[in-house]
Amino acid sequence: MASRYDRAITVFSPDGHLFQVEYAQEAVKKGSTAVGIRGTNIVVLGVEKKSVAKLQDERTVRKICALDDHVCMAFAGLTADARVVINRACVECQSHKLTVEDPVTVEYITRFIATLKQKYTQSNGRRPFGISALIVGFDDDGISRLYQTDPSGTYHAWKANAIGRSAKTVREFLEKNYTEDAIASDSEAIKLAIKALLEVVQSGGKNIELAIIRRNQPLKRKKYL
Amino acid sequence: MAATFFGEVVKAPCRAGTEDEEEEEEGRRETPEDREVRQQLARKREVRLLRRQTKTSLEVSLLEKYPCSKFIIAIGNNAVAFLSSFVMNSGVWEEVGCAKLWNEWCRTTDTTHLSSTEAFCVFYHLKSNPLVFGSCPRKNMQITILTCRHVTDYKTSESTGSLPSPFLRALKTQNFKDSACCPLLEQPNIVHDLPAAVLSYCQVWKIPAILYLCYTDVMKLDLITVEAFKPILSTRSLKGLVKNIPQSTEILKKLMTTNEIQSNIYT
Repeated sequence: MASRYDRAITVFSPDGHLFQVEYAQEAVKKGSTAVGIRGTNIVVLGVEKKSVAKLQDERTVRKICALDDHVCMAFAGLTADARVVINRACVECQSHKLTVEDPVTVEYITRFIATLKQKYTQSNGRRPFGISALIVGFDDDGISRLYQTDPSGTYHAWKANAIGRSAKTVREFLEKNYTEDAIASDSEAIKLAIKALLEVVQSGGKNIELAIIRRNQPLKRKKYL
Repeated sequence: MAATFFGEVVKAPCRAGTEDEEEEEEGRRETPEDREVRQQLARKREVRLLRRQTKTSLEVSLLEKYPCSKFIIAIGNNAVAFLSSFVMNSGVWEEVGCAKLWNEWCRTTDTTHLSSTEAFCVFYHLKSNPLVFGSCPRKNMQITILTCRHVTDYKTSESTGSLPSPFLRALKTQNFKDSACCPLLEQPNIVHDLPAAVLSYCQVWKIPAILYLCYTDVMKLDLITVEAFKPILSTRSLKGLVKNIPQSTEILKKLMTTNEIQSNIYT
């Protein structure tokens, strides 16, 4: 049944599936794992970086990007699609700041990205974006936020989540180990993110990169070599 | 042929039978050149069994000297990684021979000078217990087949998001009396390609055989997929062949890093 209803994005199958969107979710699973954790005073994004080819400049292989001073996101899936989405989101952040004279809230920019993704599931001739994103940051009210979007254009708020390869294994680890104690202090939240990633990274601890945002502080990146 | 609203061309079903039958038959008359090309292709496609890394062919009589009690075959890179890190690093395995073959889908064009690393199948036997296969089925022989399949091929009424991938399923022949270490493959799922051929052969010749199929969402070499095969180590077929599990995990990790293929499409 799938083969007759999966070629055009605008066609539903008789049992209600949009197969192109489901296939886009498979593309996300080909990207390496990213995990996001929301602590009380800190938000942490951890990613498994692919090892860089010998002649490749490491700076251009980025999985975590800052959308603004107080918001950043990690993605899993098609690199080129991510670049396009991130560019649009960065422009929207600045445009919002100029128009409304306030920085975006994390929920606003997540909704913008999700709406963009949904548009591409409803036009003829364009395929959906093959990325899922974890968006973290602090709002003006000082509360930490973590949102996840997927190729269908849905977004949800999470306390902790993972995307990409073996995301299910990491999510199960987080469900077992995410407790109020585990995120009570900043260092505990960072440790939880690293432990969750170590469940699935192929090469031990060598390819983990972390990004942390503390309340009213800019994004900090940490690499573990 | 008909064009649908979205521009795809679909062959309309015809209840009067195919009108093109006569025309097709005329075009199929074979010229001598066609026959020659077809014979050449048939010669190139022969499967050759060779002795260890040399060009001499593996004599069938030599194989008959070694009766086989356990034959394990791994198909696909995750299954092979499991066998090489968990089973083959315990004890000394000696390479006996290899099989080389070619068909039109292979990327190499030269069939006579395939190097040993390009063999499609390598046969090993345990030095302390030299039991390799013979050309005809022996009594007391037991065959284990390991392979992988993408989880989207698994047909189930649950949604694929809720499946605990990677997971194992087993399929065994009528003569296999032991129990499998995982649930049996449910209908309407079927096995494809080489593993299916081996299992069918075993069923027809009444050889006890079991196939362990790992459904995974990562088809390339992946640590979690290979570790999903671990329950098999406790079954009767592989018991006694595996000695050092922590060392195997280290070897597996090394295999992962050496085999990482660079691709920048997915991050």
